[in-house]
Amino acid sequence: HWFWWFMTMACVVWYSTITIYVAIKGGADIKHMLARLDATKAREAREEREG
Amino acid sequence: MTNFNWLLDGSIVGLYLLATMAAGLMVRKYVGKVEHFLVAGREMDVYLGIASLAATEFGIVTCMYTAQNGYEKGFAGATPGILMAIAMAVVGLTGFVIKPLRDSGVMTIPELFEKKFGPRIRWAAGVVIVLGGLLNMGVFLRTGGQFLVLVSGLDVKYLEIMMTALLVGVAIYTILGGMLSVLVTDYMQFIVMSAGLIVVTILILMNVGWENLVNTVQTHYGAGGFNPFINPTMGWQYVLFNLMLNTAAVLTWQTIIARVLAAKDADTGRKVYTRTSFFFVCRFLIPGVWGIAALASLGPVANSLEAMPRYLSTAVPPGLMGLLIAAMLAADMSTDSSYMLTWGSVIYNDIMAPFRKTRWSEKRGLFWNRSIIAFIGVFLLLYGLWYPLKGDLWTYLGVTGTIYLASISVLLIACCYWRRANSWGAGAAILISAVIPITYLVMEQLPSTANLAKTIGPYYSGIATYLLSGAAMVIGSLLKPQSGTNLQEGIA
Repeated sequence: HWFWWFMTMACVVWYSTITIYVAIKGGADIKHMLARLDATKAREAREEREG
Repeated sequence: MTNFNWLLDGSIVGLYLLATMAAGLMVRKYVGKVEHFLVAGREMDVYLGIASLAATEFGIVTCMYTAQNGYEKGFAGATPGILMAIAMAVVGLTGFVIKPLRDSGVMTIPELFEKKFGPRIRWAAGVVIVLGGLLNMGVFLRTGGQFLVLVSGLDVKYLEIMMTALLVGVAIYTILGGMLSVLVTDYMQFIVMSAGLIVVTILILMNVGWENLVNTVQTHYGAGGFNPFINPTMGWQYVLFNLMLNTAAVLTWQTIIARVLAAKDADTGRKVYTRTSFFFVCRFLIPGVWGIAALASLGPVANSLEAMPRYLSTAVPPGLMGLLIAAMLAADMSTDSSYMLTWGSVIYNDIMAPFRKTRWSEKRGLFWNRSIIAFIGVFLLLYGLWYPLKGDLWTYLGVTGTIYLASISVLLIACCYWRRANSWGAGAAILISAVIPITYLVMEQLPSTANLAKTIGPYYSGIATYLLSGAAMVIGSLLKPQSGTNLQEGIA
Protein backbone atom coordinates (compact mmCIF):
# COMPACT_ATOMS: atom_id res chain seq x y z
CA HIS A 1 0.00 0.00 0.00
CA TRP A 2 2.52 2.50 -1.28
CA PHE A 3 0.27 5.54 -1.07
CA TRP A 4 -0.29 5.19 2.66
CA TRP A 5 3.31 4.09 3.27
CA PHE A 6 4.54 7.19 1.44
CA MET A 7 2.11 9.47 3.34
CA THR A 8 3.11 8.01 6.72
CA MET A 9 6.84 8.38 6.00
CA ALA A 10 6.26 11.90 4.62
CA CYS A 11 4.47 12.80 7.87
CA VAL A 12 7.36 11.59 10.05
CA VAL A 13 10.05 13.28 7.92
CA TRP A 14 8.19 16.55 7.22
CA TYR A 15 6.97 16.87 10.81
CA SER A 16 10.47 16.29 12.25
CA THR A 17 11.94 18.87 9.86
CA ILE A 18 9.33 21.57 10.47
CA THR A 19 9.59 21.07 14.24
CA ILE A 20 13.35 21.71 14.22
CA TYR A 21 12.90 24.67 11.85
CA VAL A 22 10.11 26.23 13.91
CA ALA A 23 12.05 25.65 17.16
CA ILE A 24 14.93 27.73 15.75
CA LYS A 25 12.97 30.41 13.86
CA GLY A 26 9.97 30.70 16.19
CA GLY A 27 12.13 31.78 19.13
CA ALA A 28 13.50 34.66 17.05
CA ASP A 29 9.94 35.57 16.01
CA ILE A 30 8.94 35.91 19.68
CA LYS A 31 11.95 38.15 20.43
CA HIS A 32 11.14 40.41 17.48
CA MET A 33 7.44 40.54 18.35
CA LEU A 34 8.10 41.60 21.94
CA ALA A 35 10.76 44.12 20.82
CA ARG A 36 8.31 45.70 18.36
CA LEU A 37 5.61 45.89 21.03
CA ASP A 38 8.12 47.57 23.37
CA ALA A 39 9.11 50.06 20.68
CA THR A 40 5.47 50.89 19.91
CA LYS A 41 4.74 51.35 23.62
CA ALA A 42 7.73 53.71 24.01
CA ARG A 43 6.74 55.69 20.91
CA GLU A 44 3.14 56.09 22.09
CA ALA A 45 4.31 57.20 25.55
CA ARG A 46 6.62 59.78 23.94
CA GLU A 47 3.86 61.07 21.66
CA GLU A 48 1.51 61.36 24.64
CA ARG A 49 4.10 63.41 26.58
CA GLU A 50 4.79 65.68 23.60
CA GLY A 51 1.18 65.84 22.39
CA MET B 1 -1.52 -1.72 34.53
CA THR B 2 0.36 1.20 32.99
CA ASN B 3 4.02 2.02 32.40
CA PHE B 4 3.66 5.48 33.98
CA ASN B 5 6.45 5.99 36.55
CA TRP B 6 5.61 8.73 39.04
CA LEU B 7 9.22 9.73 39.77
CA LEU B 8 10.63 9.71 36.23
CA ASP B 9 7.55 10.52 34.13
CA GLY B 10 6.01 12.73 36.81
CA SER B 11 9.16 14.89 36.86
CA ILE B 12 9.06 15.36 33.08
CA VAL B 13 5.39 16.39 33.22
CA GLY B 14 5.99 18.70 36.22
CA LEU B 15 8.93 20.41 34.50
CA TYR B 16 6.86 21.00 31.36
CA LEU B 17 3.95 22.49 33.35
CA LEU B 18 6.28 24.78 35.31
CA ALA B 19 8.00 26.09 32.15
CA THR B 20 4.67 26.71 30.40
CA MET B 21 3.14 28.65 33.28
CA ALA B 22 6.31 30.76 33.64
CA ALA B 23 6.38 31.60 29.92
CA GLY B 24 2.65 32.34 29.84
CA LEU B 25 2.84 34.73 32.78
CA MET B 26 6.08 36.39 31.64
CA VAL B 27 4.50 38.28 28.72
CA ARG B 28 1.48 39.71 30.56
CA LYS B 29 3.31 43.04 31.04
CA TYR B 30 3.14 43.64 27.26
CA VAL B 31 -0.68 43.76 27.31
CA GLY B 32 -1.76 47.39 27.40
CA LYS B 33 -4.61 47.43 24.89
CA VAL B 34 -7.49 45.26 23.72
CA GLU B 35 -5.66 44.87 20.38
CA HIS B 36 -2.65 43.38 22.21
CA PHE B 37 -4.96 41.04 24.11
CA LEU B 38 -6.99 39.80 21.13
CA VAL B 39 -4.58 39.87 18.14
CA ALA B 40 -1.13 40.33 19.76
CA GLY B 41 -0.87 43.84 18.32
CA ARG B 42 -0.84 42.15 14.86
CA GLU B 43 2.88 41.43 15.26
CA MET B 44 2.91 37.65 14.64
CA ASP B 45 5.46 36.38 12.11
CA VAL B 46 5.45 33.21 9.98
CA TYR B 47 7.17 30.58 12.15
CA LEU B 48 5.45 31.62 15.34
CA GLY B 49 2.21 31.46 13.33
CA ILE B 50 2.96 27.90 12.17
CA ALA B 51 3.67 26.79 15.75
CA SER B 52 0.54 28.50 17.05
CA LEU B 53 -1.80 27.24 14.32
CA ALA B 54 -0.54 23.65 14.60
CA ALA B 55 -0.61 23.61 18.42
CA THR B 56 -4.07 25.18 18.55
CA GLU B 57 -5.64 22.76 16.11
CA PHE B 58 -4.23 19.64 17.76
CA GLY B 59 -5.66 18.85 21.18
CA ILE B 60 -6.12 15.57 23.02
CA VAL B 61 -9.64 15.52 21.61
CA THR B 62 -8.12 15.68 18.09
CA CYS B 63 -5.80 12.79 18.89
CA MET B 64 -8.73 10.77 20.25
CA TYR B 65 -11.10 11.20 17.30
CA THR B 66 -8.41 10.79 14.65
CA ALA B 67 -7.17 7.62 16.38
CA GLN B 68 -10.80 6.44 16.59
CA ASN B 69 -11.06 7.06 12.83
CA GLY B 70 -7.93 4.94 12.25
CA TYR B 71 -9.23 2.22 14.56
CA GLU B 72 -12.70 2.11 12.93
CA LYS B 73 -11.88 2.88 9.29
CA GLY B 74 -8.22 1.97 8.77
CA PHE B 75 -5.96 4.27 6.74
CA ALA B 76 -9.02 5.61 4.89
CA GLY B 77 -9.95 7.31 8.18
CA ALA B 78 -7.20 9.88 7.50
CA THR B 79 -9.08 11.18 4.42
CA PRO B 80 -10.43 14.32 6.18
CA GLY B 81 -6.84 15.33 7.01
CA ILE B 82 -5.77 15.10 3.37
CA LEU B 83 -8.81 17.13 2.30
CA MET B 84 -8.10 19.80 4.91
CA ALA B 85 -4.44 20.03 3.88
CA ILE B 86 -5.45 20.52 0.22
CA ALA B 87 -8.01 23.20 1.18
CA MET B 88 -5.50 25.04 3.37
CA ALA B 89 -2.75 24.94 0.73
CA VAL B 90 -5.10 26.26 -1.98
CA VAL B 91 -6.41 29.06 0.25
CA GLY B 92 -2.86 29.96 1.31
CA LEU B 93 -1.56 30.03 -2.26
CA THR B 94 -4.48 32.03 -3.70
CA GLY B 95 -5.30 34.22 -0.68
CA PHE B 96 -8.98 33.34 -1.28
CA VAL B 97 -11.04 35.12 1.43
CA ILE B 98 -8.14 35.38 3.91
CA LYS B 99 -6.42 38.22 2.02
CA PRO B 100 -9.44 40.58 1.93
CA LEU B 101 -10.26 39.54 5.50
CA ARG B 102 -6.79 40.46 6.83
CA ASP B 103 -6.58 43.61 4.68
CA SER B 104 -9.85 44.86 6.18
CA GLY B 105 -8.16 45.17 9.61
CA VAL B 106 -10.99 43.54 11.59
CA MET B 107 -10.43 41.57 14.82
CA THR B 108 -13.21 39.00 14.22
CA ILE B 109 -15.17 37.69 11.21
CA PRO B 110 -18.57 39.18 12.23
CA GLU B 111 -16.95 42.63 12.42
CA LEU B 112 -16.40 42.39 8.65
CA PHE B 113 -20.05 41.40 8.12
CA GLU B 114 -21.26 44.70 9.59
CA LYS B 115 -19.65 46.58 6.68
CA LYS B 116 -21.71 44.60 4.16
CA PHE B 117 -24.78 43.26 5.96
CA GLY B 118 -25.34 45.68 8.85
CA PRO B 119 -25.14 45.40 12.67
CA ARG B 120 -27.97 42.84 13.10
CA ILE B 121 -26.22 40.25 10.92
CA ARG B 122 -22.94 40.97 12.74
CA TRP B 123 -24.66 40.20 16.05
CA ALA B 124 -26.45 37.08 14.73
CA ALA B 125 -23.22 35.75 13.19
CA GLY B 126 -21.45 36.34 16.51
CA VAL B 127 -24.11 34.29 18.33
CA VAL B 128 -23.84 31.44 15.77
CA ILE B 129 -20.03 31.40 16.03
CA VAL B 130 -19.99 31.36 19.83
CA LEU B 131 -22.72 28.71 20.11
CA GLY B 132 -21.08 26.47 17.50
CA GLY B 133 -17.64 27.00 19.01
CA LEU B 134 -18.65 26.35 22.62
CA LEU B 135 -20.75 23.27 21.74
CA ASN B 136 -17.72 21.99 19.87
CA MET B 137 -15.32 22.77 22.69
CA GLY B 138 -17.71 21.36 25.29
CA VAL B 139 -16.48 17.80 24.70
CA PHE B 140 -12.77 18.69 24.87
CA LEU B 141 -12.30 18.50 28.62
CA ARG B 142 -13.87 15.14 29.37
CA THR B 143 -12.22 13.51 26.35
CA GLY B 144 -8.84 14.94 27.38
CA GLY B 145 -9.37 13.73 30.93
CA GLN B 146 -10.31 10.25 29.68
CA PHE B 147 -7.05 10.00 27.74
CA LEU B 148 -4.87 11.15 30.64
CA VAL B 149 -6.58 8.84 33.16
CA LEU B 150 -6.27 5.81 30.87
CA VAL B 151 -2.64 6.42 29.89
CA SER B 152 -1.32 7.35 33.33
CA GLY B 153 -3.36 4.73 35.20
CA LEU B 154 -4.91 7.33 37.53
CA ASP B 155 -8.15 6.39 39.29
CA VAL B 156 -11.09 7.62 37.17
CA LYS B 157 -12.52 9.43 40.23
CA TYR B 158 -9.71 12.01 39.83
CA LEU B 159 -10.77 12.84 36.26
CA GLU B 160 -12.91 15.86 37.22
CA ILE B 161 -10.29 17.25 39.62
CA MET B 162 -7.55 16.87 37.01
CA MET B 163 -9.68 18.52 34.31
CA THR B 164 -10.47 21.43 36.62
CA ALA B 165 -6.82 21.94 37.60
CA LEU B 166 -5.75 21.83 33.94
CA LEU B 167 -8.37 24.38 32.91
CA VAL B 168 -7.59 26.73 35.82
CA GLY B 169 -3.88 26.70 34.92
CA VAL B 170 -4.63 27.52 31.28
CA ALA B 171 -7.21 30.16 32.22
CA ILE B 172 -4.74 32.01 34.48
CA TYR B 173 -2.18 32.74 31.77
CA THR B 174 -4.82 33.29 29.07
CA ILE B 175 -6.73 35.79 31.22
CA LEU B 176 -3.57 37.72 32.09
CA GLY B 177 -1.69 37.65 28.78
CA GLY B 178 -4.35 37.10 26.10
CA MET B 179 -3.07 36.31 22.60
CA LEU B 180 0.52 37.19 23.57
CA SER B 181 0.55 34.47 26.24
CA VAL B 182 -1.20 32.11 23.83
CA LEU B 183 1.45 32.64 21.12
CA VAL B 184 4.44 32.25 23.46
CA THR B 185 3.06 29.14 25.17
CA ASP B 186 1.91 27.73 21.80
CA TYR B 187 5.53 27.91 20.59
CA MET B 188 6.77 25.87 23.57
CA GLN B 189 3.80 23.53 23.42
CA PHE B 190 4.28 22.91 19.70
CA ILE B 191 7.85 21.71 20.29
CA VAL B 192 6.93 19.44 23.23
CA MET B 193 3.82 18.13 21.45
CA SER B 194 5.68 17.42 18.20
CA ALA B 195 8.57 15.67 19.97
CA GLY B 196 6.11 13.34 21.72
CA LEU B 197 4.07 12.62 18.59
CA ILE B 198 7.12 11.87 16.43
CA VAL B 199 8.92 9.68 19.00
CA VAL B 200 5.82 7.60 19.81
CA THR B 201 5.05 7.14 16.09
CA ILE B 202 8.59 5.91 15.37
CA LEU B 203 8.32 3.57 18.39
CA ILE B 204 5.04 2.13 17.06
CA LEU B 205 6.38 1.70 13.51
CA MET B 206 9.43 -0.13 14.91
CA ASN B 207 7.53 -2.32 17.40
CA VAL B 208 4.36 -3.13 15.47
CA GLY B 209 5.83 -2.92 11.97
CA TRP B 210 4.34 -1.60 8.74
CA GLU B 211 3.38 -5.05 7.41
CA ASN B 212 1.46 -5.80 10.60
CA LEU B 213 -0.43 -2.49 10.38
CA VAL B 214 -1.38 -3.15 6.74
CA ASN B 215 -2.41 -6.76 7.50
CA THR B 216 -4.59 -5.59 10.40
CA VAL B 217 -6.45 -3.10 8.22
CA GLN B 218 -6.80 -5.65 5.40
CA THR B 219 -8.15 -8.31 7.80
CA HIS B 220 -10.72 -6.07 9.50
CA TYR B 221 -11.78 -3.70 6.70
CA GLY B 222 -10.55 -5.18 3.40
CA ALA B 223 -9.91 -2.76 0.53
CA GLY B 224 -12.25 -0.22 2.18
CA GLY B 225 -9.64 0.30 4.89
CA PHE B 226 -7.39 1.91 2.28
CA ASN B 227 -9.91 3.56 -0.06
CA PRO B 228 -12.65 5.80 1.40
CA PHE B 229 -14.82 5.55 -1.73
CA ILE B 230 -15.37 1.80 -1.29
CA ASN B 231 -15.49 1.77 2.53
CA PRO B 232 -19.10 0.85 3.49
CA THR B 233 -19.13 3.40 6.36
CA MET B 234 -17.76 6.21 4.19
CA GLY B 235 -18.37 6.45 0.43
CA TRP B 236 -18.42 9.51 -1.85
CA GLN B 237 -20.88 11.31 0.45
CA TYR B 238 -18.37 11.10 3.35
CA VAL B 239 -15.59 12.50 1.15
CA LEU B 240 -17.78 15.31 -0.24
CA PHE B 241 -19.14 16.25 3.21
CA ASN B 242 -15.62 16.35 4.64
CA LEU B 243 -14.35 18.38 1.68
CA MET B 244 -17.09 20.98 2.32
CA LEU B 245 -16.60 20.87 6.10
CA ASN B 246 -12.82 21.25 5.97
CA THR B 247 -12.85 23.95 3.29
CA ALA B 248 -15.35 25.91 5.37
CA ALA B 249 -13.21 25.35 8.49
CA VAL B 250 -10.09 26.65 6.74
CA LEU B 251 -11.99 29.76 5.65
CA THR B 252 -14.02 30.56 8.75
CA TRP B 253 -13.14 28.58 11.90
CA GLN B 254 -12.38 31.55 14.12
CA THR B 255 -9.48 29.88 15.97
CA ILE B 256 -7.73 29.23 12.63
CA ILE B 257 -8.60 32.66 11.23
CA ALA B 258 -7.31 34.30 14.44
CA ARG B 259 -3.77 33.47 13.23
CA VAL B 260 -4.41 35.33 9.97
CA LEU B 261 -5.83 38.31 11.87
CA ALA B 262 -2.86 38.38 14.28
CA ALA B 263 -0.33 38.16 11.41
CA LYS B 264 1.80 41.18 10.47
CA ASP B 265 0.08 41.39 7.07
CA ALA B 266 -1.94 39.33 4.58
CA ASP B 267 1.19 37.82 2.98
CA THR B 268 2.38 36.52 6.37
CA GLY B 269 -1.07 35.00 6.95
CA ARG B 270 -0.95 33.27 3.56
CA LYS B 271 2.54 31.87 4.26
CA VAL B 272 1.35 30.52 7.62
CA TYR B 273 -1.49 28.70 5.82
CA THR B 274 0.67 27.31 3.01
CA ARG B 275 3.50 26.10 5.25
CA THR B 276 1.21 24.60 7.90
CA SER B 277 -1.05 22.80 5.40
CA PHE B 278 0.77 19.44 5.44
CA PHE B 279 0.50 19.38 9.23
CA PHE B 280 -3.20 18.62 8.75
CA VAL B 281 -2.29 15.32 7.05
CA CYS B 282 -0.04 14.49 10.04
CA ARG B 283 -2.85 15.55 12.40
CA PHE B 284 -5.09 12.75 11.08
CA LEU B 285 -2.61 10.12 9.91
CA ILE B 286 -0.21 9.97 12.90
CA PRO B 287 -2.91 9.28 15.53
CA GLY B 288 -4.67 7.16 12.88
CA VAL B 289 -1.60 4.89 12.82
CA TRP B 290 -1.76 4.76 16.64
CA GLY B 291 -5.41 3.66 16.34
CA ILE B 292 -4.51 0.93 13.82
CA ALA B 293 -1.69 -0.23 16.13
CA ALA B 294 -4.27 -0.45 18.96
CA LEU B 295 -6.48 -2.60 16.71
CA ALA B 296 -3.49 -4.82 15.87
CA SER B 297 -2.58 -5.27 19.54
CA LEU B 298 -5.94 -5.27 21.36
CA GLY B 299 -8.32 -6.50 18.66
CA PRO B 300 -11.96 -5.31 18.75
CA VAL B 301 -12.90 -3.49 21.99
CA ALA B 302 -16.25 -2.21 23.29
CA ASN B 303 -15.32 1.49 23.33
CA SER B 304 -13.29 2.40 20.24
CA LEU B 305 -12.55 5.89 21.62
CA GLU B 306 -10.58 4.33 24.49
CA ALA B 307 -8.67 1.76 22.39
CA MET B 308 -5.68 3.98 21.55
CA PRO B 309 -4.97 5.29 25.10
CA ARG B 310 -5.39 1.76 26.52
CA TYR B 311 -2.86 0.49 23.99
CA LEU B 312 -0.38 3.32 24.67
CA SER B 313 -0.58 2.79 28.46
CA THR B 314 1.32 -0.49 28.05
CA ALA B 315 3.17 0.03 24.74
CA VAL B 316 5.12 3.16 25.73
CA PRO B 317 8.00 2.58 28.19
CA PRO B 318 8.69 4.72 31.31
CA GLY B 319 10.57 7.90 30.40
CA LEU B 320 8.88 8.09 27.01
CA MET B 321 5.57 7.92 28.88
CA GLY B 322 6.45 11.22 30.58
CA LEU B 323 7.22 12.77 27.19
CA LEU B 324 3.93 11.42 25.77
CA ILE B 325 1.85 12.85 28.63
CA ALA B 326 3.72 16.18 28.53
CA ALA B 327 3.09 16.24 24.75
CA MET B 328 -0.61 15.59 25.22
CA LEU B 329 -0.89 18.17 28.01
CA ALA B 330 0.86 20.64 25.68
CA ALA B 331 -1.58 19.79 22.89
CA ASP B 332 -4.58 20.22 25.15
CA MET B 333 -3.46 23.39 26.92
CA SER B 334 -2.62 25.16 23.65
CA THR B 335 -6.03 24.25 22.25
CA ASP B 336 -7.96 25.26 25.38
CA SER B 337 -6.19 28.63 25.71
CA SER B 338 -6.71 29.58 22.06
CA TYR B 339 -10.32 28.45 21.99
CA MET B 340 -11.25 30.32 25.19
CA LEU B 341 -9.58 33.49 23.91
CA THR B 342 -11.17 33.22 20.46
CA TRP B 343 -14.77 32.63 21.50
CA GLY B 344 -14.30 35.31 24.16
CA SER B 345 -13.11 37.75 21.49
CA VAL B 346 -16.32 37.23 19.48
CA ILE B 347 -18.50 37.72 22.58
CA TYR B 348 -16.68 40.97 23.40
CA ASN B 349 -16.20 42.32 19.89
CA ASP B 350 -19.51 41.34 18.28
CA ILE B 351 -22.20 40.12 20.68
CA MET B 352 -21.53 42.97 23.12
CA ALA B 353 -21.13 45.55 20.31
CA PRO B 354 -24.72 46.90 20.62
CA PHE B 355 -24.12 47.57 24.34
CA ARG B 356 -21.07 49.76 23.71
CA LYS B 357 -22.83 53.02 22.90
CA THR B 358 -19.69 55.05 23.56
CA ARG B 359 -16.03 54.14 23.04
CA TRP B 360 -14.76 52.10 26.00
CA SER B 361 -11.38 52.75 27.60
CA GLU B 362 -8.67 50.13 27.01
CA LYS B 363 -8.75 49.29 30.73
CA ARG B 364 -12.48 48.62 30.67
CA GLY B 365 -12.17 46.59 27.46
CA LEU B 366 -9.43 44.43 28.97
CA PHE B 367 -11.49 43.90 32.14
CA TRP B 368 -14.47 42.65 30.12
CA ASN B 369 -12.35 40.41 27.90
CA ARG B 370 -10.76 38.80 30.95
CA SER B 371 -14.12 38.37 32.68
CA ILE B 372 -15.60 36.70 29.58
CA ILE B 373 -12.74 34.18 29.41
CA ALA B 374 -13.27 33.33 33.10
CA PHE B 375 -17.00 32.86 32.38
CA ILE B 376 -16.23 30.57 29.41
CA GLY B 377 -13.95 28.52 31.68
CA VAL B 378 -16.79 27.99 34.18
CA PHE B 379 -19.21 27.09 31.36
CA LEU B 380 -16.76 24.53 29.96
CA LEU B 381 -16.36 22.88 33.34
CA LEU B 382 -20.11 22.54 33.82
CA TYR B 383 -20.89 21.46 30.23
CA GLY B 384 -17.84 19.23 29.97
CA LEU B 385 -18.71 17.44 33.19
CA TRP B 386 -22.31 16.52 32.50
CA TYR B 387 -22.66 16.22 28.73
CA PRO B 388 -22.71 12.51 27.72
CA LEU B 389 -21.31 11.98 24.22
CA LYS B 390 -23.31 9.70 21.90
CA GLY B 391 -21.99 8.19 18.68
CA ASP B 392 -18.55 8.85 17.28
CA LEU B 393 -16.70 12.02 18.19
CA TRP B 394 -15.75 13.25 14.71
CA THR B 395 -19.40 13.10 13.57
CA TYR B 396 -20.57 15.03 16.68
CA LEU B 397 -17.94 17.69 15.99
CA GLY B 398 -18.89 17.72 12.30
CA VAL B 399 -22.63 18.13 12.89
CA THR B 400 -22.31 20.83 15.59
CA GLY B 401 -19.58 22.53 13.56
CA THR B 402 -21.77 22.59 10.45
CA ILE B 403 -24.31 24.88 12.18
CA TYR B 404 -21.52 27.44 12.30
CA LEU B 405 -19.39 26.59 9.27
CA ALA B 406 -22.09 26.40 6.60
CA SER B 407 -23.60 29.82 7.28
CA ILE B 408 -20.42 31.72 8.11
CA SER B 409 -18.51 30.38 5.09
CA VAL B 410 -21.38 31.34 2.75
CA LEU B 411 -21.61 34.80 4.35
CA LEU B 412 -17.86 35.37 4.20
CA ILE B 413 -17.45 34.34 0.55
CA ALA B 414 -20.49 36.44 -0.46
CA CYS B 415 -19.24 39.35 1.66
CA CYS B 416 -15.84 39.32 -0.04
CA TYR B 417 -16.80 38.54 -3.63
CA TRP B 418 -20.52 39.05 -4.40
CA ARG B 419 -21.59 42.63 -4.97
CA ARG B 420 -25.30 41.83 -4.77
CA ALA B 421 -25.18 39.96 -1.41
CA ASN B 422 -27.26 41.66 1.29
CA SER B 423 -28.79 41.21 4.74
CA TRP B 424 -31.82 39.21 3.52
CA GLY B 425 -29.57 36.59 1.94
CA ALA B 426 -27.30 36.56 4.99
CA GLY B 427 -30.24 36.09 7.37
CA ALA B 428 -31.69 33.27 5.25
CA ALA B 429 -28.30 31.49 5.10
CA ILE B 430 -27.90 31.67 8.90
CA LEU B 431 -31.44 30.33 9.42
CA ILE B 432 -31.07 27.39 7.00
CA SER B 433 -27.65 26.43 8.41
CA ALA B 434 -29.08 26.19 11.91
CA VAL B 435 -32.39 24.50 11.05
CA ILE B 436 -31.08 21.49 9.07
CA PRO B 437 -28.38 20.22 11.51
CA ILE B 438 -30.61 20.87 14.57
CA THR B 439 -33.54 19.05 12.89
CA TYR B 440 -31.21 16.15 12.14
CA LEU B 441 -29.97 16.01 15.76
CA VAL B 442 -33.58 16.09 17.07
CA MET B 443 -34.66 13.38 14.57
CA GLU B 444 -31.81 11.19 15.84
CA GLN B 445 -33.13 11.47 19.41
CA LEU B 446 -36.87 10.89 18.74
CA PRO B 447 -37.84 7.18 18.53
CA SER B 448 -40.42 7.88 15.78
CA THR B 449 -37.87 9.52 13.45
CA ALA B 450 -34.62 7.82 14.52
CA ASN B 451 -34.80 5.32 11.65
CA LEU B 452 -35.36 8.05 9.07
CA ALA B 453 -32.39 10.00 10.49
CA LYS B 454 -30.27 6.85 10.23
CA THR B 455 -31.33 6.38 6.59
CA ILE B 456 -30.43 9.98 5.72
CA GLY B 457 -27.18 9.86 7.71
CA PRO B 458 -25.03 12.78 8.89
CA TYR B 459 -23.18 13.14 5.56
CA TYR B 460 -26.19 13.76 3.29
CA SER B 461 -27.65 16.04 5.98
CA GLY B 462 -24.36 17.96 6.10
CA ILE B 463 -24.04 18.26 2.31
CA ALA B 464 -27.65 19.54 2.11
CA THR B 465 -26.87 22.17 4.76
CA TYR B 466 -23.95 23.64 2.79
CA LEU B 467 -25.80 23.61 -0.55
CA LEU B 468 -29.08 25.01 0.79
CA SER B 469 -27.27 27.66 2.81
CA GLY B 470 -25.63 28.88 -0.40
CA ALA B 471 -28.98 28.78 -2.22
CA ALA B 472 -30.62 30.75 0.63
CA MET B 473 -27.96 33.45 0.32
CA VAL B 474 -28.57 33.79 -3.44
CA ILE B 475 -32.40 33.69 -3.28
CA GLY B 476 -32.63 35.97 -0.22
CA SER B 477 -30.28 38.53 -1.73
CA LEU B 478 -32.10 38.56 -5.08
CA LEU B 479 -35.51 38.95 -3.40
CA LYS B 480 -34.51 42.08 -1.46
CA PRO B 481 -35.39 45.26 -3.36
CA GLN B 482 -32.21 47.00 -4.51
CA SER B 483 -31.19 50.25 -2.88
CA GLY B 484 -27.99 52.25 -2.71
CA THR B 485 -26.81 50.65 0.52
CA ASN B 486 -27.10 47.02 -0.51
CA LEU B 487 -25.15 47.54 -3.69
CA GLN B 488 -21.82 48.09 -1.97
CA GLU B 489 -18.90 46.51 -3.75
CA GLY B 490 -17.62 43.17 -2.48
CA ILE B 491 -14.96 43.75 0.16
CA ALA B 492 -12.24 42.22 -2.05
